[in-house]
Amino acid sequence: MPSPAEFAPLRAPLSHPGWQLWPGLLLAAAFVALAGLGLGSLLSAAEELNPSSVLGSRYLRGVVAFTLWQAGLSVLLSLALALAVARALARHPHFPGRTLLLRLMELSLVLPTIVAVSGIISVYGRQGWFTGLLEHVAPGHSWNLYGLNGIVLAHVFFNAPLAGRIMLQALESLPEPRLRMASQLGLRGWWLWRAVEWPALKPVLPGLSALVFTLCFTSFAIIMTLGGGPSSTTLEVAIYQALRFEFDFAQAALLAIIQLLICGSLWLVVFRSRLDSTLLPNRRFAFSAPLKTWPGLALANALLLGIFALFLLAPLAAIVVRGLPALWPVHSLPPVYQQLLPATGRSLLIALPAGAGAVILALLTLAASQKAQGPLTRTLPSVTGYLPLVVPPLVLGTGLFILLRPSLGNSAQGWVLVSVINGLMAVPFVLQVLRGPLNNQDKSTLQQADQLGILGWYRWRWLYWPRLRRPVALALAYGVALSLGDFGVIALFGSPGEPTLPMLLYQQLGSYQVANAAGTGLWLLLCLLAIFTTLTRVSRPAPRPRGQPQMLAGAEPDHA
Amino acid sequence: MLDVRQLQFRYSGPTPAWEFNLSVTAGECLAIRGASGSGKSTLLGLIAGFLQPQRGEILWQGHPIHTLKPWQRPVTSVFQEHNLFEHLDVFTNIGLGLHPGLQLSDLQKQAIDQALTRTGLSGFGRRRPGELSGGQRQRVALIRAILRRQPLLLLDEPMTGLDPDTRTELHRMLLEEKAHGVAMLLASHDPEDSKILADRHWNL
Repeated sequence: MPSPAEFAPLRAPLSHPGWQLWPGLLLAAAFVALAGLGLGSLLSAAEELNPSSVLGSRYLRGVVAFTLWQAGLSVLLSLALALAVARALARHPHFPGRTLLLRLMELSLVLPTIVAVSGIISVYGRQGWFTGLLEHVAPGHSWNLYGLNGIVLAHVFFNAPLAGRIMLQALESLPEPRLRMASQLGLRGWWLWRAVEWPALKPVLPGLSALVFTLCFTSFAIIMTLGGGPSSTTLEVAIYQALRFEFDFAQAALLAIIQLLICGSLWLVVFRSRLDSTLLPNRRFAFSAPLKTWPGLALANALLLGIFALFLLAPLAAIVVRGLPALWPVHSLPPVYQQLLPATGRSLLIALPAGAGAVILALLTLAASQKAQGPLTRTLPSVTGYLPLVVPPLVLGTGLFILLRPSLGNSAQGWVLVSVINGLMAVPFVLQVLRGPLNNQDKSTLQQADQLGILGWYRWRWLYWPRLRRPVALALAYGVALSLGDFGVIALFGSPGEPTLPMLLYQQLGSYQVANAAGTGLWLLLCLLAIFTTLTRVSRPAPRPRGQPQMLAGAEPDHA
Repeated sequence: MLDVRQLQFRYSGPTPAWEFNLSVTAGECLAIRGASGSGKSTLLGLIAGFLQPQRGEILWQGHPIHTLKPWQRPVTSVFQEHNLFEHLDVFTNIGLGLHPGLQLSDLQKQAIDQALTRTGLSGFGRRRPGELSGGQRQRVALIRAILRRQPLLLLDEPMTGLDPDTRTELHRMLLEEKAHGVAMLLASHDPEDSKILADRHWNL
């Protein structure tokens, strides 16, 4: 009989535990260092200025107050609408068009802000459909999209669907017995809320509110396009103006610090209470039981969901209807393509590396967090998931802008920086897609793999990759899409002469080239569509030989 | 020869500690009896290295193996269920037992095909475990265990819930392995399994 040494299996490549730990740890550390560098340069720049003089300024106090006010209002309205929609959707698990509506609600996550804004202007702007209708119904109305109206409207357009999906997920993951009991007891109204719905929603609400607040608080493109004047300026826009037009770095730094303090303390509260915040809706199988209803509830819900669908669809329809003539070649290729194609190239040059980088960073930090032992090394990888939310992109960008200002010679360097920051900003969302499939390997699978010596590279190849190829593709699509639609960091570093697609769209909106703007918006949407379909196609498992049924297909989440 | 000496283990929380002492020689099958919760699976988990003992030692041919990682130990486990990677096909599942990166020689590929044919699973190589019956899955698990050629088999209720024909087939495969000198530890509720396979009994 051989001695134990002879049973030592073939060493798998990269099987040393260090390979799982160090790359992720180092990347996470580099990320934290980069953020620290940005913040440090902000602090040192802000030193030149006396904080009290800025805080004493009426203009800046107004900016802070307005930022808080619009964000608070947006959160309230978004969550209220989301709650109503989620309850209606949970109550009616089967109706024609439900899946389509859910898809539409997921779209808001990847829809570039600037595109949606151009659609919103087409509907609610001066020449918009809605405004025209309103003129008919109530002549002499005082509706004006620009200002608080437009900002809150756009924020609700973006965040209500996102919040609605997450709330729906919470409602759908109700424990089966509780729902059965509620059904049998005939609970409805207040008691259904008290006994069933509120306990399900309570855990997700703080994280969700913080997320929506952060997104509204730091939104940039919406304020830039719909703000319409100094009275409705937010911190983010004020930072941008201080940097790009007034060259007042100290003031920009101070504003960025104020923004950081507010966002940071908000997330600190969320972390303190150890609340798990979900950023992305997951699809899962829901159990549903018939619940007692009020007469007319179904009708009211149908009305609500119909209006909500219209609310989401109208801007998209406007982009398609108004954009198509600008893009469609009637006699020859329209001249818009001369600007569109180079801008597409630039956008992809930034977005593809950003998306890929975000996926790699997310995978490596997740791997490291599985392996990490010490209390510090354990938290470091998960920090990367939240740091981009606490430190908004423009704040990080501002810090690095100030730091690198003298040496930032050509635009290529600026683009690298934009790509890096965009990639980092996508990490929280990418992490959310990958975390589940990566961490949910069951115990028996892991034990088998251990016994068979499937370690290192082999473990990735045979255990993780088969399950992760679709989530990875989806995460990559999210990462690329977020970066492709970015109009924030690029505004800071990019040059107007060489615009990316969102920048081009912004320029066209600003110079009232409505038709071209719609064309660019539609083009950007088509690019996103192409990215999502390509990546989901490529990641689909190869067709099984001999036409055998694919039993697992149903168990995998059927993502867009 | 496997020697388990004063092996102590306790789960966290207010649970009693177990102590195990036993030995099995090559070509012998030791049946472990005991009610559920009496520590049968715990013992097999400790020997496989899935659990870490608080004290004591496990020796194989006189060498301590309780300090080794699961993949370094000369054992193969077969459980009642979940023995296979659900997302990989049958051939890959068996092949990963021969090489953890599926780098198989032609000889090894032939061996897998032959083993499948011999157990009536010819042509099932490209199917996933989810498309197989419980008995077929268990046969695949046993083929993998046998082809790995490890000298110690840890069987944790491997026959529970299977139909009589499949059980007979699995008994035949296991007896053949025993004749080749493989040592076995069998945890089973079923008296028939122990009667056919076991040389000795040990009550927990």
